[in-house]
Amino acid sequence: MSRRSPGAVRRARLAALRSARRIRLGTANAVLVWRSSLQVRVLTSTLVVGILALVGLGVYLSDRIRDGLFDQRVAQLLEESARSTQSAQTTLSTSTAPTAAEVQQLFFDLVPALKVGGSGAPEIFLRRSPVDAPPLLVNDVSSRPELNYLLSADLRAAILADDTQHWMSVAIPVDEGEGVHPGVLVGSIVTVPAAGQYELYFLYSLESEATTLGFVQRVLGAAAAGLVLLLAAMTWSVTRQTVQPVRSAARVAERFAEGHLSERMTVKGMDEMATLARSFNEMAASLQDQIGRMEELSLLQRRFVSDVSHELRTPLTTIRMAAEVIHDAREDLGKAAGRSAELLTTQLDRFEELLADLLEISRFDAGAAMLDADSLDVREVVTTAVEQAAPLAERKGSWLSVTLPEGPAVADIDPRRVERVLRNLLVNAIEHAEGQNIEVRVAGDARAVAVSVRDHGIGMTTEEAEHVFDRFWRADPARARTTGGTGLGLAISVEDAHLHGGWLEAWGAPGAGACFRLTLPRRAGIVLESSPLPLVPDDDPVVPMVEPRRTSTALDPTSVPDLEGWDR
Amino acid sequence: MNGRILVVDDDVALAEMVGIVLRAEGFEPLFCSHGDDALDAFHSSQPDLVLLDLMLPGKDGTEICRLIRAESSVPIVMLTAKSDTVDVVVGLESGADDYIPKPFKAKELIARVRARLRHNDQPSPEQLGIGDLHIDVAGHRVTRAGELIALTPLEFDLLVALARKPWQVFTRETLLEKVWGYRHAADTRLVNVHVQRLRSKIEHDPEHPEIVVTVRGVGYKAGATTA
Repeated sequence: MSRRSPGAVRRARLAALRSARRIRLGTANAVLVWRSSLQVRVLTSTLVVGILALVGLGVYLSDRIRDGLFDQRVAQLLEESARSTQSAQTTLSTSTAPTAAEVQQLFFDLVPALKVGGSGAPEIFLRRSPVDAPPLLVNDVSSRPELNYLLSADLRAAILADDTQHWMSVAIPVDEGEGVHPGVLVGSIVTVPAAGQYELYFLYSLESEATTLGFVQRVLGAAAAGLVLLLAAMTWSVTRQTVQPVRSAARVAERFAEGHLSERMTVKGMDEMATLARSFNEMAASLQDQIGRMEELSLLQRRFVSDVSHELRTPLTTIRMAAEVIHDAREDLGKAAGRSAELLTTQLDRFEELLADLLEISRFDAGAAMLDADSLDVREVVTTAVEQAAPLAERKGSWLSVTLPEGPAVADIDPRRVERVLRNLLVNAIEHAEGQNIEVRVAGDARAVAVSVRDHGIGMTTEEAEHVFDRFWRADPARARTTGGTGLGLAISVEDAHLHGGWLEAWGAPGAGACFRLTLPRRAGIVLESSPLPLVPDDDPVVPMVEPRRTSTALDPTSVPDLEGWDR
Repeated sequence: MNGRILVVDDDVALAEMVGIVLRAEGFEPLFCSHGDDALDAFHSSQPDLVLLDLMLPGKDGTEICRLIRAESSVPIVMLTAKSDTVDVVVGLESGADDYIPKPFKAKELIARVRARLRHNDQPSPEQLGIGDLHIDVAGHRVTRAGELIALTPLEFDLLVALARKPWQVFTRETLLEKVWGYRHAADTRLVNVHVQRLRSKIEHDPEHPEIVVTVRGVGYKAGATTA
């Protein structure tokens, strides 16, 4: 016995795996086709039902035909053999042959005579009954001695028992070659005057009936096959007629969804499909109309924004320059006018900011905001924003601690927008931190990069956290505004985050501070499901994974003079 | 006198205010408030710099810009209330050297104006080569095989900045600072648009630039010197 080499074994296993995979794939394909094509499904079901029905019908029909043919033939043969037996009995009874040889001769003459009578050309068997000792010893005679074995003991016993005609089905071997024909063996008793009781058997072949039956079955089969084909063709064409318009409707709908708004279905005839096409076209036309109207509105809105921009900005420029000139000359103006000039200048800054924010938000509303994305390290943007916010934090007495991941946190971002979001979050946190520390964290996973800004200030309720991104919303209207802000900062921030396909969320608890989390997908098209950072902070004291970067100087924040007054 | 500046703006108050600010800095402002008169005013006043509002009655800013650029390389600074991408790029492509978005501060305006007028008063006897071009910095001339190529002062400055340090790759921010005088990173589209304009004048095939080469993800650098 030869051992197979390990290589061969491995190859065999691989081949087995491959074929298993192929089968799996094949099954999967079949399942896919089954699930995805109504036509295949209807066709298959129709064919299965049709074939089952036809097979059932065919089996039943051929069964009935066979039984009918057989019963009729057997009845005819029984009658025939009875007649033949009668005539043989007559011949035997009237003969006067005294000797065994003469009786034997009589038998020899009788058998061929019986064979030619009737319709079946039967084989004849004449056997002596084993009843009693015969006066004369006459040999059994048969037209085909080699078939003697067909005369079964049961049949002989039945004939002997009641002396009437009996029959049984037998299988007659074919002359040459293999196989059998069906046959019927009919037996009865005849009495030979000198030689006692003999059994007379007629063996009829049912070959022609079998042939007939075979022919009928073939015809039935062919008819069934034809019917199945016809059924398949009809089902195919009917489902095609139904499915084709559905498919074309689906295609047209898809194109429509892709933005080809002038796509329409072809309407043919007056049937249900034509109704479908007409309704579809009506819907498409109405949609196209509405979309067109909305586009027009959006265009108007954008133009309005642009016009407002121009109309407001030009006088604002004049006022601003005039204010600067007055401001520069404030020393000569006296105390009240000088202070007024200062207020005018600072409030113009705020006005300008508000105008810029308003325009920005209308740009979002008009859908005109564009993302100018670049693959950038979010850590750098965070660092820039923190550095910009550091002076304000210093003034307000808050530390900014930043926890950055060690590796780059690269994502496709618009740096201007992300920086603006972070600036807003930081200013917001500093404003509400009440001199407590502020923690900024950056983390990334495979799909997203997140930045969280956490303060330990006055915090807010859950209800407030829900409204914090609303336009012009203030947590406490009575609270003094210290660092200004337009009231639109967080609303713009959330729009900026959405423009990136990202999230901006807020959490807060009264007295425990607040946490804002910005989550940005690494690449356009990634749908966020989770964020690399928690929104609700665990209440343990924060232990940064990396040495926190102190962005402010080593000065004690409280020692920095409060410059707040200058802002107002 | 520091320089004559033509202010084309239909807003009379703004124009007057700009005039006050310019005069305070020693410039001589001239005014035009209608787009159709702008070119005549330009011809009659022969200014050293044009401040041009984009939205004007009659001919609009970009068209005037194109007309002036067709006959003169005088610095043009656009005043624009629309800072949206398309408007700015259209303005720059029509030949403006720089733009100031409204609302601007007086200091910004003066800084931009000075930056555009600056190069005129610092000639240095210097000869440079870039690609197959020859640059006479003092004479403000760029020639290819003895043939003069007309560049605006800004394009000239841009080319000189690149040619002075042919080994260095300039980021757009660096170029903004060196050529336009911005101290903080501003709109890098300025650089892109003007590099395109420069290329269309000096390159053999602007589609495949060999003199001002793009370094992907970084910025621009001078191509190899061949003359």
